Amino acid sequence: MRTARFIAGRLLSMVLVLLIVSALTYLVFFLLPSDPAQLSCGKPCTPQNLAIARSFMGYDEPVWRQYLAFLEGIVRGRSYGTGPAAIHCAAPCFGYSFQLAAPVTQLILSRIPVTFSIAIGAAVLWLLLGVAAGVSSAVKRGTLVDRAAMALAVGGVSAPAYLVGLLAILLFGFTLNMVPVNGYVALTENPVQWAWHLVLPWCVLAVMSAAVYARLTRAQMLDVLGEDYIRTARAKGLREWRIVGRHGLRNVLIPVVTLFGLDLGQLLGGAVITERVFSMQGLGALLIDAVGNLDLPLIVGITLFSAFLIILANAAVDLLYGAIDPRATA
Amino acid sequence: MKRHGVTGVVAVTAALALAACNANPSGTASAGPTGAVTKGGTLTILTASTNLNLDPAKSQNLATTTLGLVLRRLTTWDIQPGKPATVVPDLATTTGTSSDGGKTWTYQLKDGLKYADGTPITAQDVKYGVERSFAPELSGGLGYHKGLLVGGDAYKGPYTGGDLASIATPDSRTIVFHLNKSYGDWPWIVSTPAFAPVPKAKDDPQKYGNDPVASGPYQVDVNQQGSVLRLKRNPYWDAKTDSVRTAGPDQIVFQLGQDTTVQAQRLIADSGKDKDAFGAGFVPPAQLVQIEQNPTAKSRLVTSDSGALEFLALNTTRGALSDLRVRQAVEYAVDKKSVQVAAGGPIGGDLATTLITPGIAGRVDYDLYPAGPDGDVAKAKQLLAASGHATGLKLTLLVQDDDLNLAYAQAVQQGLQRAGITVTIKSEDEDAWVADATGDKGDYDLTIADWQPDFPSANGNIEPLFGSSEIGGGGFNLSRYSQSQADGLIQQATGETDPAKAQALWAQADKRIMQDAPVVPLLYTKNSFLHGSDVQNFFVASFPAYPNYLKVSLTK
Repeated sequence: MRTARFIAGRLLSMVLVLLIVSALTYLVFFLLPSDPAQLSCGKPCTPQNLAIARSFMGYDEPVWRQYLAFLEGIVRGRSYGTGPAAIHCAAPCFGYSFQLAAPVTQLILSRIPVTFSIAIGAAVLWLLLGVAAGVSSAVKRGTLVDRAAMALAVGGVSAPAYLVGLLAILLFGFTLNMVPVNGYVALTENPVQWAWHLVLPWCVLAVMSAAVYARLTRAQMLDVLGEDYIRTARAKGLREWRIVGRHGLRNVLIPVVTLFGLDLGQLLGGAVITERVFSMQGLGALLIDAVGNLDLPLIVGITLFSAFLIILANAAVDLLYGAIDPRATA
Repeated sequence: MKRHGVTGVVAVTAALALAACNANPSGTASAGPTGAVTKGGTLTILTASTNLNLDPAKSQNLATTTLGLVLRRLTTWDIQPGKPATVVPDLATTTGTSSDGGKTWTYQLKDGLKYADGTPITAQDVKYGVERSFAPELSGGLGYHKGLLVGGDAYKGPYTGGDLASIATPDSRTIVFHLNKSYGDWPWIVSTPAFAPVPKAKDDPQKYGNDPVASGPYQVDVNQQGSVLRLKRNPYWDAKTDSVRTAGPDQIVFQLGQDTTVQAQRLIADSGKDKDAFGAGFVPPAQLVQIEQNPTAKSRLVTSDSGALEFLALNTTRGALSDLRVRQAVEYAVDKKSVQVAAGGPIGGDLATTLITPGIAGRVDYDLYPAGPDGDVAKAKQLLAASGHATGLKLTLLVQDDDLNLAYAQAVQQGLQRAGITVTIKSEDEDAWVADATGDKGDYDLTIADWQPDFPSANGNIEPLFGSSEIGGGGFNLSRYSQSQADGLIQQATGETDPAKAQALWAQADKRIMQDAPVVPLLYTKNSFLHGSDVQNFFVASFPAYPNYLKVSLTK
């Protein structure tokens, strides 16, 4: 009963947050001094052509009415135009991209495999690298290992993704010819090529994000290693790896998991720069194009989807707390 | 017309074919390796675009790029390096027979034309293709015909509006267009994408752009949005009926969404399949510098002779700028050399003096304000003094906020400062700039823009920028220039159906307008492209300043 109420509460707050996000995105978009209908107007864009395009896209309505039509489309689906050439967007319709001539839902679904492939692989890699480097640094505090790991971490945190990506392409792709420089192969098409094309983006993202995790893990681990119960464990004669791995790491993981949940949620919404550099057409690339083309339905759709993923990741983190630290559910 | 160019052009003339098989002839910046067309291989085109919609009604493609590989139109362009672009028949037997003083145009389709599915191409299909371009569901394409065809203003397309009576098809090979005014450039208009045939039975407005029924040498094999567009041969295309497409490669693969920097790096590296590739986008300035240091890559860099006209528009309705002498002073004060430096030097563009750009038939080269490359400050000051603005003249310059436009703006600002004109730069993103510069209000003194016609006629250089009807309301008469004599010349030249006479009238209009100094022509910009070492017949002519996809082939 308690769990059911918890889940119902989370769902309700999730819907509320998504409503606020969509309303704000609509509002911000309409405050911009641009006219999205102009891009679909054709050339020459006469006032008459512009009015036709605006009316067909529904941009001639007041913003609140457009927003309500958008919400209604999610529940009941939507049609644009009349007659045999009318565009039908089935529920749940998150709008229709006139630039790409496809429903937003379909566009988002088509890009998910690319972004999820990049994000999940990179996340696993950076979590392993970051936590391992952080733990080693803490255990070997003050040694060369510690300093080298932290120096690398500072470098990773400071480096811009675009630069690291391009340098990695130049070095490993063009100079050493070790990996493909860009492009994406679907997992279902060829799993080996899928992984092979993703190695470089995974590594670039992992090196940069692992840095944050290394620093966080190190700081947490140092705190934990100074706790009384660790001293007790040592006094009992437990081996060091057991103390660090079983008693230390468990406590360190709580903030790491929190951060990981948020980072992963954000990345699943689109690794904008990485996708661009490696010419992979995921959600990030779709969003950038949508912003450039003033493609309002697509911007709102992707923003909502990204917000949904972050909220979902947060909920997953909450559930994980209980598994890692039973005190959290007590 | 276009603010940013599109297309490209190549041409393999018989002479070039005979000269054959070797690298860039020295001094011919606009030509890549040339040779007889070798059939076979897979040509790869790297593009930053993530979505190539092949629906002719929605397309703004010029005749010599992507859409031209798949769809033929009534007429098309013959473009060769060093020669002005000409209009030539494509599906039709001629570029058009006019009657009724240029208000009626008749075309006959060539014999034996077939689609990729083996069915015959009919005049009714061309009519239907034009009609569907009026549908609001398919807006976004080039629509110069919409305001010219009788009844076009009120027509809503075939899905809800029936057929358009001003297009007649007395038989399956004849199509007749009735215009509401004499229009000498109609042969160019029917080279735009909407004049490609669309069989009514195959039309699904929402999906047609993914895989249109091909009339050109290639048809869609695979079209994955965001990833790849692969074209294969159309077995029913007959080379004997087509004078401009060489159809060298067996397959053409567009790799979509390619970052322009990575594109350039891949082509510089020139390894593996990238030897059979070229980049559809301009080479970024940083890679241009890199290529300059790399002789192998440099030999594969192709730079156009000229592209769009980069110009400074002077708002003729505003304060001091309504005085001709002040505008003339600006003509003399601008430092075009600095603008050229901002463009990256001579590789970025040549100094401009005329409105009609190089490569357009009938262009006459002249300079009404001979001030030298860096301007004539003394002459400018003299004109300002005569107009009563010797000191204290302040102007606002509206400009797009990208690096290049800002660099142009600063060069203009510094040039005018020398004559005592204080320029305040107001930068905006592209959409806001378009809204403000082409809106009704016109709240600016100066603005910088570039312009390349959508079809290579002097009409495209002049009317959209200087016709009174193009002021505000989305029009590109950014100088808000309205002059009855110029309008009269434009009207006369537009209605002239004899190309030679029309060209002479456009040249006359060019000079007449510049006498009023509504704009300062700054540069004829150039575009640079890079191709792999196995790519052949890759040229960029004067107009348009883009490679001609229809002629490119592979060496093996």
